Amino acid sequence: MSQSVRTIEADILIVGSGITAAMMAAHLAEHTTRSITVVEAGRASTPLADRTVARERYLAYGESPWKQDHLDDQNAYGTTWGFSPSMTVGGLAMHWGGVAPRYSPEDFRLRSLYGVGDDWPFSYDDLDPFYQEAEERIGIAGEQGPGEMDPRGKPYPMPPLPINYNLSALQQWATKAGISAWSTPSAKNSVVREGRAQCQRCDTCYPVCPTGAKYTPDWTWDALVQSKRVSLITETLVRRLEADPKTGRILQATGNRTDATGEAVRFVANTFVLAAGFVWSPHLLLLSRDSAYPNGLANRSGLVGKYLAGHRNVNAYLQLPLELYPGINAQHSLVSKQFMRTGEQSRYLRHDLRIWESTVGREPRLRDDDGALLTGDALLADWRSRAGGANGATARVRAYYDVLPDKESKLTLDDAHLNRFGDPMPTLAFKDAPESVALRSWQEEELRELFRRMARAGDGSILRMENSASDLGQEHPVGGCRMGTDPATSVVDGWGRAHDHENLWVAGAPSQVSASCCNGTLTFAAVGLRTASAIARA
Amino acid sequence: MSRPSKPIGNNRREFLKTASVLAVATACSPSSVAERDAAAASGMLAQRSSFSNASDLALLNAVGDTVLPESLGAAARAQAVSDFVAWCNRYDPVAEEMHGYGYADVRYLPPDPVPAWQAQLQGLDVLADRMFHQPFARLGMAERAQVIASATRRVSGERLPSPLAAEHVVVALLAHWASTPNAWNLAVGVTVSPGTCRPLAEVHRKPLPIASAT
Repeated sequence: MSQSVRTIEADILIVGSGITAAMMAAHLAEHTTRSITVVEAGRASTPLADRTVARERYLAYGESPWKQDHLDDQNAYGTTWGFSPSMTVGGLAMHWGGVAPRYSPEDFRLRSLYGVGDDWPFSYDDLDPFYQEAEERIGIAGEQGPGEMDPRGKPYPMPPLPINYNLSALQQWATKAGISAWSTPSAKNSVVREGRAQCQRCDTCYPVCPTGAKYTPDWTWDALVQSKRVSLITETLVRRLEADPKTGRILQATGNRTDATGEAVRFVANTFVLAAGFVWSPHLLLLSRDSAYPNGLANRSGLVGKYLAGHRNVNAYLQLPLELYPGINAQHSLVSKQFMRTGEQSRYLRHDLRIWESTVGREPRLRDDDGALLTGDALLADWRSRAGGANGATARVRAYYDVLPDKESKLTLDDAHLNRFGDPMPTLAFKDAPESVALRSWQEEELRELFRRMARAGDGSILRMENSASDLGQEHPVGGCRMGTDPATSVVDGWGRAHDHENLWVAGAPSQVSASCCNGTLTFAAVGLRTASAIARA
Repeated sequence: MSRPSKPIGNNRREFLKTASVLAVATACSPSSVAERDAAAASGMLAQRSSFSNASDLALLNAVGDTVLPESLGAAARAQAVSDFVAWCNRYDPVAEEMHGYGYADVRYLPPDPVPAWQAQLQGLDVLADRMFHQPFARLGMAERAQVIASATRRVSGERLPSPLAAEHVVVALLAHWASTPNAWNLAVGVTVSPGTCRPLAEVHRKPLPIASAT
């Protein structure tokens, strides 16, 4: 490898180029005149012009539309369900589903309201303007739910994705079941907006939108780089932060090119921002251990890598006597927040609820009930008898439920797995807090019973129910650098600034106290924007 | 402590691709290591199998006429076979699979299924000869159906799999046709055309019936 060290100077260095980093860079570019450099370990992936072909090959063969969006030797181990190895410009949000709900106000006050978990150092109302900013910057198409369930300061920036024929019938069924459900807020253009197309319901939002109607962070990076407000350095892995042992200030970040040269690179900046997700942000802090900071940086509390949080789900397929035609728009759904805003209750359970059309039980069969091979018109006749229309419908329902993290739900350095530079990779071990361990069976049975009630309300039945992949990990994970007001029990303050290093900030998912019970990306972005606003003021 | 990984990047896939082709080559043709290595050295690794010879295509068309719905008509069945052949021939063995939420490791698609499917096609001829003393393509529909039922008797699973996961070429052809928007439309009797990009504007309406739906 080359022995030369390239030095790059900037006022603000952002590590990571995912959606949180993109939002922050856009905010900082508008609110400061300071120079901004963003460093990404991976490279740019499939450009928009190639996504139509990439989508076709995904549909035909299951090929990844985002080839080479990772580094083979840079990965996490352990309970990694919910983690993606994507390391590319735009990060995991290059292939997110675009589902963008807000958390509910209760999420920020769990200890105060329910006596479980921890309160956040700020409220939902404090975050509301940053939610709005994230929704504006990303472009969220959303429907205002009932005010008491879905509070917000201003309207969504775009009208909702329309309730289609199938969802309309499912919405009427949900109403009969006593559930208020509406169009899921989505990072997909319901109208042409800011140079991006209107959604064409291609139904491959996850993993790839061929039209650009779904937001991906490359849109933001392209604009920022073109305007020369941001310098984006790709294929460069930051491996260490170095702090002044006397002042605690971060002096520089060091790393190497991930291309064949392996060139050493040094970043000198006034402000350092970790926006590298819930794995790589605490991982970098732990990797940065030295004689002055033997437990890693920002780790006076011993909590770097701790309190990893997420949620699990219960999922069900219901057979209903409805006339549906699966395939109209299978990735769009109805959402309800009425179970996220529960009042005081004897036992703790909060969850979201989503409802989709489904093809389960409606697919063609290879063999009939007697095991005989079905081919030709016999196969088609059998398929027609079950496919949809007047032959009944399948609805999919799923509830993410809140899981409270244990302090020892953690990320550690794993000497059994080293990257090409000899750095230990992270191992994850999610662990529920004792309250969640005690509640889990009851919570999951409550959700199954809810689905049974919903089926009965529609004169239907349960086809099958399943829990999420048990203890392999958790969904929409957060934590590892949790925020709080007390340096003894948190890594960063309520704005994301490290208690131990006044020029180090951790943004988005890793700083979060909890993961709510719904998709998390919009909140990661909003929390990141709140941090960006503090950096801009600092 | 394990040794640091080498920065392999693209090489990992190339390694897997080579290894998988070697595995197929080992399983399908050269019988010895020396023959395999010779085949590799002669450029076999750079070539992929494809349904291109007349015998394969004739057999595939005969299979299509047997297992695809007669109600589609001969032209549509021939087109379905042609689409399947094109799909096979465009397959990129050991390409990266989609990885997303749920698993951290990067996975790769299977090796080229065509060599095994070609062998199965030839197997239909052998079986037809044993059962009826005729090549498969010369049999009547009832006899062909018996041959196919016999050849696929060990194929498991109630649902049609994805074509790539099919254990037998007959199932792969059927599954490929069934995965098309047109097949879905025929099944539901209306024009839903799943997976086809189309405007949001009409999305609230009940889908329109298709003319050929019964």
